[in-house]
Parts: sequence; C-alpha cells; structure tokens
Amino acid sequence: MTHPMPELSTGLNRHHLHPDVWTVRAGSYSFLVSKRASAAVVGLGLLLFVSACLSVAVGSGETTGFTAVKALFGEGTQVQTQIVQVLRLPRFAAGAAAGAALGVAGCLIQTLARNRLATPDIIGVNDGAVAGVLLVAIASSAAAIGAWWAGPAGAAVAAAIVVAAAGSMGTTGYRVLVVGIGVAVMLDSLVQLTLARQDLDAARSLYTWSLGYLNGRDYSSALPVAIGLAVLLPVALAVARRLNLSRLGEEVPTTLGVPLNRVRFAALIVAVGLAGLGVGVGGPIAFIALAAPIIASRLAGPRGVPLLVSALSGAALVTLCDTLGRVVGAAEVPVGVLTSLLGGPFLLWVLLTRKV
Amino acid sequence: MKNASATLPPKQPTRTPLKKRSAMSVWVPLLSLAFLLAASMVIGGGEHGIWQSAKFLLGNAEARANDHLHMVMTTLRLPRTLVALSAGAALGIAGCLLQSITRNPLADPGLMGVNAGAALGVVALISLFGVDSSSASIVAALLGALGASLIVVAIASSTKNKLTPLHLVLAGVALAATFRGATSFLLTSSDVSYDRYRYWILGSLSGISTGEFLAVLPIFALGIALALIFARPTGALALGDDVATALGHRPATTRVVAIMAVTCLAGAAVALCGPIAFLGLLAAFVARRIEPEKFSVQLLLAGWIGGCVLILADIGARVIIRPYEAPAGVILAVIGGPLLIVIARSRGMMTLRRPGGH
Repeated sequence: MTHPMPELSTGLNRHHLHPDVWTVRAGSYSFLVSKRASAAVVGLGLLLFVSACLSVAVGSGETTGFTAVKALFGEGTQVQTQIVQVLRLPRFAAGAAAGAALGVAGCLIQTLARNRLATPDIIGVNDGAVAGVLLVAIASSAAAIGAWWAGPAGAAVAAAIVVAAAGSMGTTGYRVLVVGIGVAVMLDSLVQLTLARQDLDAARSLYTWSLGYLNGRDYSSALPVAIGLAVLLPVALAVARRLNLSRLGEEVPTTLGVPLNRVRFAALIVAVGLAGLGVGVGGPIAFIALAAPIIASRLAGPRGVPLLVSALSGAALVTLCDTLGRVVGAAEVPVGVLTSLLGGPFLLWVLLTRKV
Repeated sequence: MKNASATLPPKQPTRTPLKKRSAMSVWVPLLSLAFLLAASMVIGGGEHGIWQSAKFLLGNAEARANDHLHMVMTTLRLPRTLVALSAGAALGIAGCLLQSITRNPLADPGLMGVNAGAALGVVALISLFGVDSSSASIVAALLGALGASLIVVAIASSTKNKLTPLHLVLAGVALAATFRGATSFLLTSSDVSYDRYRYWILGSLSGISTGEFLAVLPIFALGIALALIFARPTGALALGDDVATALGHRPATTRVVAIMAVTCLAGAAVALCGPIAFLGLLAAFVARRIEPEKFSVQLLLAGWIGGCVLILADIGARVIIRPYEAPAGVILAVIGGPLLIVIARSRGMMTLRRPGGH
C-alpha cells in the first residue's frame, strides 16, 4: 500500500498552495479540511436522507410510499403516524447509529493495523461483543437484548486476547488477522454452544439477533450508541490525526513528539467501545466495518483517516440494507444476512483486485 | 510466496524430523489408534461403567447377555466410534490435500469455506425441498462442498494475483461468510430447520446410526483412495506448477483429482457430523512436522492424527459436562484456535516447505 504524504500542519503557512484543502484557524489552533472529504460528507448526508425516506416509506400494510412520508410530518391517520413515528423512524435511527459506530470502529482498526482487511468482525472483536451480549441476556433470563455495557465489555475482552496473543496491534498486520480469525472461530462456537442450550423460542430470537437484526430496535436502543458516538467521535478525530503520522514510519511521530503507543492504545479503546456499542444495537452486522472505511477512502481520497465519511457510509449501508431486507423476501430478512451475502463477494473483490 | 529453492540460505536451522522412521513407526500409530478405539467403546454416559463395557468387549457371557448394555455398545457407541475415526481421518487428509493444492499452510476445509458450502447444501435441501433423509443430505453436502472447493482452488490458483497464505484464508473467510449468509437466509425464512441446525452446526457425533455411516463409507473410501493414488503428483504441486510439470506431472489434472478427493472427504464428514473446523489444519500441521518430505506419508499421518484427535474430542465431549454432551466441534475449536495463533506467531510456519529443505 502506498500512501501519499499526509499534510502536516507545521505552522509554515504553505496551505494556500493546496487548492484542495481549506485551512481552519482558531487562535493558535489550526487544522485542515479536505474539500473532497467535505463533498463526500455532503453527498453521503443526502444519501442518508434518501435512505431515511425509503426506510419510512417501505414496509408492510398500506402505510407506504408518499402516505408514509407525509405521515412522518404528521399528516395522516393516527395509525399511520404511529407506524411511522414509533416503528420505522426509530428503527432507522438505531440502524444509522449502529452503522456509524461500526464504520468508525472499522476505520480506526484498519488504520491501527495498517491493513484494510483488519476489521472488528474479522479479528473477533464483534464476536466478543456478541458473546458478551448473549451471555448477559441469557443470565438475565429474559432472552432480551438489554444491557448496553455488555457489548463493549465482550469486545474489550476479545480485543485484549487478540492483542495479547498477536503481540501488538500496529506492526504486524497479518499476525493480528490470523490470530483474530482463530479467536473469532472460538468465540463463535462458544456462542453456538450457548444457543444450543437454550429453549427453542429464546434461542431462535437470540440467533436471529446474532445474525444482525434491527427489528424492534428503537430510540432507547440507539441512545447508548448515540452517546458513545458523541463522546468518542471527537476523541477518535483527535487520535486519528496523530495516528495518521504513523503511516510515515515510527520515527516521524516520535520526532514530532507524538506519543505513538499512547495514541494507538487510545484508538484501540475507542474502536473497541464503538464496535461493542454498535453490536449491542442490532447484532454483528457483517462487513459494515470493512466496507464503510474502504468506500470512505475511495470517496474522500487517500489523505488522512476518513472517520466522518466512514461513519456516514456505515449508517447509509446499514439503513439501506435493512430497508432492502424488508423487500426481498417473503418474510423479513435480517440486515446482517443481507450484508453477509453482499459483503462476502465484496471482500473477495477487494482481495482479488487489491487496490486497497 | 517464494517457491523452495536451494540457493536461499535457510532462515532457521533446519529441524530434524521428530524421529527417524523405523519399524516402530508403523506400530505407534496402530497401537495408539487401537487404544483410542477401545477407550471410545468403554467410556461414556449412562449406567454402564468402564469395567462392564470392557467385559462386554472381551466377550464375557454375562455382559453380553445384558440387553441394555448390548444396545448401548452396538447401536450407540460402535457407530460413533467408527464415525469419529473415519470423519477425523477424512478431514485430516482433506486438510493435507487442500494445503498442498493451495500451497498454503493455513488451508483447512473449515476455514476455507468448504464446510460452510456443505452446510449450505444440507440446509438448502431441508428448507427448500423439505427433504430430510440422510442419503439426500449426503448428496446435498457433497454438492455444496464441491462448489466451495472449486471456488477456493480457483481463487488460490488464479495466476494474475498470487495470494499469500493470509489472503487465501481471508478469501476463505469471505466465502464462508457468503455461504453462511445464504444459510441463515434459508433458516430465518423457514421455521422447521433451525432446531436441528443449531445442534448440527456445532459438529457433534451423537445420534448417528450405523446405517447412515455405512451409506457414507464408500464416499470416504473413494476420497482416501484418490488421495493416496495421486499422492505423488499432489505433493509435487506444493513445489509450484513449473517444478511439478518438470517432474513429469500434470498440475491441472492433479488439481482436479485432488479437489474431487477433498470434496468427497470434507463433504461426507460434514454430512455426518456437521461442520468441524480446525481438524484438517491441525492434522496436516502435525503431520508435516513429523514427516516434512514424503507427501504420501504425510497423508497417512494426517489421517491417523485426524482420526485420533476426533475420537479423543468425542470422548471428551461425553465426559466434560456430564450428564450433558458437549459437541466435539466446539472442543476442536477451542484446541484449534490457539494452534492457529501458534502457527501465526512462528516465523517459519507460514510456508509449506523450508528453503533448502528439499
């Protein structure tokens, strides 16, 4: 992988030479805003809005199309507004929040491992979150996905195992992957074992959730992720800017006085927290963490770490696939099933073209 | 991946094989296997202790007259033991073959999506056609495994982009995910199948009847025969197509035969006891450490190791959480995960043959 030199804000005011960057100054602080990335953010924002309209407009019954969109703004019968405002819009919000969290987590871990294929679902972090959520759900005997902390806790345990077994996160990209695949398979069989010990109805609903499913998710399930994003995204942005320096090798950040190990650790914590929260909403929606950052870097260009763009593409991918799942089958298809079906070939394509 | 070449200095001191082959090397596998088979026949849940079961095996008239014990021994433990032996051997040999054709020390029917393909075949049969007979599910598993292994090998042998071992495993992950997605699509759209699926997916050997085993036996035999007859050309594939051609083999033909063998072995094993991951990886890995040179010996060793490990895992499955059964597949995943980590951490393990080792 070749990376062009990222822009370093060194106080030498050369940025007017770069027509594709805006320099934003606030007192003694300044940072660069890539025009291309901004365009990507605007475009994806529009796409997300379209996705919101679609997810509100698509469904069973007669509350579809323009009727549904009008009901969203309170024009329509009471039943229609109920369906749209209590079921569909909250579900969209939950999906968007989960997708954004997974996208950011994926982008951070890819940057950490300096490998486009290192994502929370491949290195076992998502499986850890699933195991955590399931164990807590079963222990509380309600067979309902509840506790918001269970996902991040499981993800953290899995990440700790992977990082400890691989020896590090940053320098040995391939080793992290192989170790992660091993950990993922182990955790997955643990999950299947837990499911086999439940009674059929509980197991069925948990199994469906473990595929990645947004049915019945609402504002209350989206809230932890939204708070997580609000708190962790600024941290992630600050960390990513420093992490970006590590692309130039170990010496450059050291020379600039950036404590690389601490930065990496912070990035890992943020990524694991977001992945865990994201999984807690709608299960381990496959391949979002892989595809969103790849799409984001194609859109925003190779400069920097496109966290915001990744968040938006993750949200758009999840919500669009969720809407698609309500259309394609006779019964509703869980969003994670669709993303595996689409994401598997996508990963193969990435592997075989290797432009990443 | 670099092919082996004698000009490269060895990166590490070449290991000597664990022991020189001698008359003992035939007896050790045979005796260990006999011991494990006997253990698998006498250890188990239920009211019959080890001693009583042993008396039954040795032909004690009093034990033979006990109807219930007779039932346990002949209709429960005997098929289980035979299935563990043959499915384990099949997966071991399949792992060895896959590693050689893909030139990849991390290849494994479970990791590469071959098992997931077979699983998709079985689930598709049950949910789409409502057929639930063991012979039909064997055919479905074979078809699924064939499709998957064809794709794996096509990806691995595409000349345009040489895939490193890691990338091939990732391709396998992608493939397995796609198949699993299709499988869950079918499962979520039909109510009947999930209950059976959730036990079967764990990889368990309980409840397989002698009849089911006998139906699959010819397929196992065919796979093993193909593997052994074509051992020499298949082993040469690991040296790269050019070298294999120079040695007088036909790489393309060999690959097709080897894929057929992998399909028979992995497909039949999955049809019988569900998708068991890591066993092929583990068996082939250990076999290569014992005998780094001769591929035919590696195959036999991998078969022996696979059989022994699966019998052991199945005995473990019966006793670990008594009175319940733990699935053997889970036990193997718990052993296999760390092994994969060990292989990933050791530098020289990412290649099939050591430079200068041949």
